[in-house]
Amino acid sequence: MALMQIAEPGMAAEPHQRRLAIGIDLGTTHSLVASVLSAVPTVMRDHEGKYLLPSVVRYLGGGDIHVGYPAAAAAGQDPHNTIASVKRLMGRGHGDVQTLAGHLPYDLVPGEGMVRLRTVAGEKSPVEVSAEILRVLKERAVETLGGEPEGVVITVPAYFDEAQRQATKDAARLAGLNVLRLLAEPTAAAVAYGLDKGSEGIFAIYDLGGGTFDISILRLQAGVFEVLATAGDSALGGDDMDHALAEWLMQGEGGDASDPFWRRQVLQQARTAKEALSAVDETMIMLTPSGRAPHAVKLSRGRLESLIQPVIQRSLPACRRALRDAGLKLTDIDGVVLVGGATRVPAVRAMVEAFFQRVPLTDIDPDQVVAMGAAIQADALVGNQREDLLLMDVLPLSLGLETMGGLVEKIIPRNTPIPVARAQEFTTFKDGQTAMSIHVLQGERDLVQDCRSLARFSLRGIPPMVAGAARIRVTFQVDADGLLAVRAEETGTGVRSEVVVKPSYGLNDEEIARMLQDSFTHGAEDVARRRLSEARVEGERVREALRTALAADADLLDTAERETLDKVGAALINALSGDDTDVITAAAEAVETAAEPLVQRRMDSALRRAIAGRSIDDLGD
Amino acid sequence: MVDSCFRCGAELGTPPALCASCGAVQPFRADLSLFAVAGLPETYDLDVQALRTQVLALQKGLHPDRFANAAPAARRYSLEWSTRLNEALAILRDPLRRADYLLQRQGVDALGEQVKVADPELLMTQMMYRERLEDLVAARNLSGMEVLRQEVDTAMTGVVQRLKGLLGGLPCVEPEAAGAALRELQFLDKLLGEIGRSEESSQNV
Repeated sequence: MALMQIAEPGMAAEPHQRRLAIGIDLGTTHSLVASVLSAVPTVMRDHEGKYLLPSVVRYLGGGDIHVGYPAAAAAGQDPHNTIASVKRLMGRGHGDVQTLAGHLPYDLVPGEGMVRLRTVAGEKSPVEVSAEILRVLKERAVETLGGEPEGVVITVPAYFDEAQRQATKDAARLAGLNVLRLLAEPTAAAVAYGLDKGSEGIFAIYDLGGGTFDISILRLQAGVFEVLATAGDSALGGDDMDHALAEWLMQGEGGDASDPFWRRQVLQQARTAKEALSAVDETMIMLTPSGRAPHAVKLSRGRLESLIQPVIQRSLPACRRALRDAGLKLTDIDGVVLVGGATRVPAVRAMVEAFFQRVPLTDIDPDQVVAMGAAIQADALVGNQREDLLLMDVLPLSLGLETMGGLVEKIIPRNTPIPVARAQEFTTFKDGQTAMSIHVLQGERDLVQDCRSLARFSLRGIPPMVAGAARIRVTFQVDADGLLAVRAEETGTGVRSEVVVKPSYGLNDEEIARMLQDSFTHGAEDVARRRLSEARVEGERVREALRTALAADADLLDTAERETLDKVGAALINALSGDDTDVITAAAEAVETAAEPLVQRRMDSALRRAIAGRSIDDLGD
Repeated sequence: MVDSCFRCGAELGTPPALCASCGAVQPFRADLSLFAVAGLPETYDLDVQALRTQVLALQKGLHPDRFANAAPAARRYSLEWSTRLNEALAILRDPLRRADYLLQRQGVDALGEQVKVADPELLMTQMMYRERLEDLVAARNLSGMEVLRQEVDTAMTGVVQRLKGLLGGLPCVEPEAAGAALRELQFLDKLLGEIGRSEESSQNV
């Protein structure tokens, strides 16, 4: 008689035929691990039954490392050795995180390459810190699955650049994990909802976390998920709702607003009340102001909603921008998916529904949905089921070149599907110019100083020609991993130069969001500055032309003409030192008018010389 | 002429990018038009949905993700094909850029800087539209912007219809008329973008 086979709890029914694979959501505030168990994507829990692992690592003396809840609890008392939000540092250089440094209590080590943190256990890179989080999740998976996973899919924000993706891959390797694929978070959420199995369509993924907001528009067609557009606000999240409520409570209570203990108490109570009001219509908040008796404050859902309404509304501009970037109307959206714990708040759901004019998908726990999507994709990639999906990524920020006057000429706009190649022609500014400096920039603003410099290189050996005659073709090629190669070529002679750069290397999420936000708010200001800059370029060109002409052919002028030209020339130089667009333009025009006789005579004399040359040749024949 | 696989010699389909017989990605062909790369006949009256389906199906086989572990040459070919497919989708799905591309193929640069817009009627229409939009922006009149947007939309559909006629047979026998229609479409397209931005900034205030 054959023995009956009984599968161990938590294991797949056919352990020898199924390959083990896991999906990990490596988040800014917390992380999760999931796997497909008996055909159901399941988030795995720790010994206490908790599925969220706070993304916090604490280094203790003697080589001990705490990860998760115990580390998070110690953040206040041991800030230098307790690393939270390490995701914001991934793939970032020391200079890049200076803006963040004011908000982070860490001891950053100056130096080249990726930023490093000084802890009691020595210098740690963000990759190492992330690896500690991944190790804990891996152990949890090994215990639950009863074996080593063959591979893992880790999710990253859609706008993560190559450096950030590479850092994430490195952390996984350090934790002993085999990365099958990095998957964009919104795509993972869409996969979790089985949108890839269903009909074709366009989906909006609305992801409101604790401290960040992301909106992504995806299109599914023929088994290809395309990210059509992403936008967001890296300083908007559920925490802002807590703060809004806490401010209101403190105003009502009086008390010392600068007392950190009091602030923390109110904030904690505000968060608890907000969470409670997702399920009930009214709740009591217990507060104990220092030196006073504890008492209760009644809070209705309606009151909470009026307090947090301004916070929720702040997500709408990004939604509109994403739609416009994708070239879509609201009616084109076939479904809306909610991701992130803050989307549990009923007022958020109501606003999303009102904006997109359809009921959002909320069946899956918004904290778990990304990890579940990653698990499904991992399961497919190790060969357990269905055909592989293809994800088409887009450029997170526009790429361009510096042109005269400190202006940026965009070559590839953001949200363009990659791989992509684009070319643009430029020309020389001065007579006889033999070299051209190529400055590659990233960002949405019009001026070089407001964008991020990615690389500088020179094209040399351009044959001397008159200004404007050379044809310099600059080609940008971005491959599927987001790596950029720039090539410059003088098309007449084939002189060329090239460089490989990493777009947005060293940019953090805040900077990406801020740069997008700035381009939005400074549009009008940029137009005025652009006009000024263009007037300056034209003015400089006229001044240069006048200088060249006078140096070569001053003898063609009589004294009065020479005086007039010197006068308007001086006026132009004077105008160029100021910053009045109209004055510069008028001065340049005055020079051009005054120089007309000179230009005419130079042409005549050049013509005569040419004819004279011809006649000498003829004589020689 | 039928192309054959550089590795196994089998006949290639259209586009000649992947060998159906041995699976090898073929050296990139820079000489192919955007239509040929997408495996479609050269025509202005194009079904954009069909184009998208076709390009995505080709991307599924040619995208560099599919050649992550392949030899450097195959990775480069894949990158080149995939890049060109993205370009084909971006240009051919847009009625404006598609018309421009077709005219450029026959040597007509209708949108070039040298071309002077001489049609006084178009200039008048442009000015009137712009003044209307400025007034609407000043009044923050969102419903008025929506009405204007629909009007511009309808006008664009009309121009595209005209272009379908003019570019019905290729090469186009009336390039001047097609060029004028193209400039009108470009103006309307820019105006539509401005309306969108104005609506957005009025909503965000």
